[in-house]
Amino acid sequence: MGPAGDDRNLKREIAMGPVNLHRVQILILTILAAVLLLIPGVSAFTQTDTLADTENCLLCHRYPNLGRYDEFGKKRVYYVNPEKFALSVHGKLKCKNCHIGLDSIPHTEVQKVDCATKCHIKEPSTNQEFSHANMIQKYEDSVHGRGAPQKPKPYPEDLPTCKYCHNNRVPNPFDGQWGLSRALFTETLARCQGCHTKDRWAQNFYAHFVHRMRQRRLPAEVIKLCTSCHEDRDKMARHGLESIETFKDTFHWIEIKFGVKNAPDCLSCHVPLGYATHDIRPRSDPISPINELNRIQTCSNQGGMQACHPGAKAKFATGRVHAYGTKAQMLAGRQINDFESLSRNLILERAEHDISEDEIFRFQVLQFIRLMYKIFIGATILFMAFHQWLDFLSAKRKQKHGK
Amino acid sequence: MENKEFALDAEAIAAPEAAAAVEAITGESYFVRLNYSERAQHMIFAICFFILVFTGFMLKLPEGFLAFFGQAGELLFRYRRLLHRTAGTIMILVGGYHVYYLLFKAAGRRWLMDMLPRLKDLKDIRDNLLYYFNIKEEPPEFDRFCYKHKIEYGALIAGTTIMAVTGLILWTQYQWSKFVVDIAALVHGMEAILASLAIMIWHFYEIHFQPHKFPLDNLWITGVISEAEMKEEYGLHYKKIMNDPELQKIYVREKSDRNAKS
Repeated sequence: MGPAGDDRNLKREIAMGPVNLHRVQILILTILAAVLLLIPGVSAFTQTDTLADTENCLLCHRYPNLGRYDEFGKKRVYYVNPEKFALSVHGKLKCKNCHIGLDSIPHTEVQKVDCATKCHIKEPSTNQEFSHANMIQKYEDSVHGRGAPQKPKPYPEDLPTCKYCHNNRVPNPFDGQWGLSRALFTETLARCQGCHTKDRWAQNFYAHFVHRMRQRRLPAEVIKLCTSCHEDRDKMARHGLESIETFKDTFHWIEIKFGVKNAPDCLSCHVPLGYATHDIRPRSDPISPINELNRIQTCSNQGGMQACHPGAKAKFATGRVHAYGTKAQMLAGRQINDFESLSRNLILERAEHDISEDEIFRFQVLQFIRLMYKIFIGATILFMAFHQWLDFLSAKRKQKHGK
Repeated sequence: MENKEFALDAEAIAAPEAAAAVEAITGESYFVRLNYSERAQHMIFAICFFILVFTGFMLKLPEGFLAFFGQAGELLFRYRRLLHRTAGTIMILVGGYHVYYLLFKAAGRRWLMDMLPRLKDLKDIRDNLLYYFNIKEEPPEFDRFCYKHKIEYGALIAGTTIMAVTGLILWTQYQWSKFVVDIAALVHGMEAILASLAIMIWHFYEIHFQPHKFPLDNLWITGVISEAEMKEEYGLHYKKIMNDPELQKIYVREKSDRNAKS
């Protein structure tokens, strides 16, 4: 590859008809790449201490301004920070292990990253090539999966894909967790490094374990991630679901709001001890942790790092956790008109299945108490304010007349 | 010094309400409205009330505001809970003591009898409203506790009971079904709004913003009011006391023993 190759590209661009913005940008990038190749000594910088860039991708991708606007007007950034990438969970992989079709420059053949791709790393327990296919299969079977091939779910574009939640993050710092001092982790790591003399390798391996020793996101971050879809009323309604802003009426949310560590977020109940995040099931599924059969264990979290409600009994644990929302309101006969009729029917159908008559009764009792209190507070406070205002006026009158 | 007092007197003659005040200062007797035990009960109760309101409504603080506390938020949350429950317990104990006081102490039984609603209270409401609307010349003569006090005291008893019961249910949530806990949480929150607003509008007006009491009536500390105030505000009770030497022993204090325990 070199100037001659770029000339061919230029000719191809011209031969392919009207030049649009997209092609111009590729052209500019290509010329830029060519110029860089001509600068002597550039390749000396393409390898950093932290990243073995044997494919020489950083030649271009280490430049922070590398990017373009795609045909949908979306900004695409092609910059890779070598230090950060090296520290990330995928830091030891080669670019081409995941990004397929990079062989031609410009990368016109590139395919979307498929997390099920075998990445040529040997998985030590089976000694076979590693891939996330196993996890993806579990995920496809879960409530977030695309559904069986013969009965696919509608609006598949709404369903979160791997990259919606996972962003190749840097492992959590492995110090100072659960009140343990940093020294514990430093000493433990030092023990590893006694035999495993390559420090970077030992640190990566250690981080690999410790990263999994606690929840990766803070409770508030989990809420933000889940509600990015689940609070979207229209998106949820298309699937017959209700928006879950009702979570914010619970005491669980108040703890999160105050920034309490280990406060109960979505995962605490929907993916408790013994469950995997990729395997979230609907409530009706008997293996779901929020199925009434499993509630006592879910609420008490016996055997977990934190026993949340150790005293939970059946009558406490089988109750409603989120406040009653759209579904209960619909079943209670309230007209909610801001949904399309199709969505409304979907939600109603699900609601009839999910919410028993007992629960509707409870919802109505709570609504009634709330309404009565509102009226009572309004009436009482109005009476009081009126009475004291009259008192004030009469006192002023009395002062004026000197009585 | 003498000149200054004289100047004050001269001003007092010019303004009738100031004259009343001076009369009160120079008057002979004070009248006991709250005895030592009642003042102590009120003081503890009031402190607990403010702690409870503050730590309770903290739960409603918006997310953005709490982010300001950062790491300290968790500590704040833990102390909030501890303070709320401590103050709640003390308030319940004071409430329990008050019931004991009402039933087993002579002063408490008098309080209870004077506090019971009577037909006169309905007439007083009517007459007082007519006075407010400037239809009647004079307000009715009130006994020891007027209808305003009785309404407030009734609300206090009902409110404290509701808050105590729902608070204890929330505290012992595992013993109950989630539905009961939900009702308790709802009622606890709504009643808190009602109680706080009622205290702000009804009680604070009585002690802070009534024109002749601004900025703060010190009755809750001293427990006594002047003869002039007594005549003016609780005319009927004043007459009863003046006609009954037994009641005088209880309610009247000479100026010299103003600070004596009453």
